[in-house]
Amino acid sequence: MMKKNRNKILIIGSGRLGASIAGKLSAAGLDVVIIDKDVSSFRKLDDEFGGYDIVGDATDLFVLENEVLINEVNEVIITTNSDNVNLFIAHICFYVYDVPHIYVRLNDNDKGILLKNTTIKPIYPFSLSFEEYMRKRSENDNYENSHS
Amino acid sequence: MKIVIANGRHEADFMIKKFIQDNHKLVIINSDQHFGHYISNTNHVPVLFGDSTKAYTLDDAGVHNADVLIALSTDDIENYVTCITAKRLFDVKRCVSVVRNPKRVDLFKKLGIDSVICSTYLLGESIKYESLIESFTKTLSLENDKIVITELLIEDDYLIAGKVIKNIDFPPRVNISCIFRDPEVIIPNGDSLIKAGDKLIIVSTPKDQEMIVKFFKTKVDDDE
Repeated sequence: MMKKNRNKILIIGSGRLGASIAGKLSAAGLDVVIIDKDVSSFRKLDDEFGGYDIVGDATDLFVLENEVLINEVNEVIITTNSDNVNLFIAHICFYVYDVPHIYVRLNDNDKGILLKNTTIKPIYPFSLSFEEYMRKRSENDNYENSHS
Repeated sequence: MKIVIANGRHEADFMIKKFIQDNHKLVIINSDQHFGHYISNTNHVPVLFGDSTKAYTLDDAGVHNADVLIALSTDDIENYVTCITAKRLFDVKRCVSVVRNPKRVDLFKKLGIDSVICSTYLLGESIKYESLIESFTKTLSLENDKIVITELLIEDDYLIAGKVIKNIDFPPRVNISCIFRDPEVIIPNGDSLIKAGDKLIIVSTPKDQEMIVKFFKTKVDDDE
C-alpha cells in the first residue's frame, strides 16, 4: 500500500486551548483541522483561523476516517474536557492509525502511566501550574532576600 | 475466583447475587452512591463508592490480581479506561467491557479489552435467530457469532432417533459435541446411539446452523 502523505494537523476539542493552538498554527501557514462535538465551541476560534472545522464525535472511527481523513494526519493535539475521552482517543490514534505525533492533555497526572510504551506526549496543566507557582514563589523569595 | 464488578445498576445487582451463590470473591465498585448503598444492603457485601477510572480507586478496592473485571457503566469510554487501568496497573487477568455503541466492539478488542459485550448487538442477533429457528432449539453464540452452539431435543418421530451415529448420513461440517441423556453426559463416537429424548449439543458456524437444524429435525414421514 502506498504511504499516504501525512501533512495535516488535527486538533480535537475546540476549547480555549484547542482553539488557540488552531489559530496559531493556522496563522503560521499549516494545514489545520479542528473537530468538536458542539458547533458553538468554534466561536472561540479567532479570525486568523483558515483551516477546516468539523462538527462531530472524534471517538467515532467513521468520522475519523471519512471526515477528518486521519490517515493524512501527521500531528494530533487532543484537548477535550474529559481525561478519559482524551486517553481513549490518544490510544486510537496511536494503536489504530499510527499517527506520528500525538499530544494529549491530561488533568490527572496519574493517567499518564497509561501512555507507557507509546510515543504519546502528555501535557499536564497541574504540573504547569505547580511549577509556575514554585517559580513565582522563588522569585519572590529572592526579591525579599535581596531586600532584607 | 476473584471478580471485580465496576459500576452498573440492576445488571450488576443480578450478577452479584449470582456470583455470591457460586462463592466467588467479589470486589464491587460503584460511582453511584445511592445504588451502591442499595447493592450493599440487599446483598450484604461491601461496595466501594468511587470512580473506577482512577487508579487509586482500583487500588483502594484491592483489585490486584483479580481473575476477572466486568465494567458495566453506561459510558463506554469509562469502561475502556477502567479495563485498561486494571489490566496494565493491577494485573487483572481478564477484562470484560459492556458497550452501548455496537461499533465499538471491534475497536475495544483491538485496543486490548479481552471481551466486549454489546446488548444492542446481541439483541439484534438473538431476534434474528429466534425468528429463524423454532423456539425449542436453544442457541448460544461465542466469539462474536463466529461459533454457535445449538441445543436440540430429539423427538420420537425424527428420522435419526434410534440410529447409530456412523450409520447416519450427515451433511458436511456437523459436529455433535455432546449427548445429554439425563443424568448422563455422553461424548459421542461413531458407535453412539441417538435416542428419542436425548439433547444434542451441536457446534457449528452460524451459516450452517439452519441447515443442520433442518437436517436433524427431518421427520420419518418427510423422508418418504
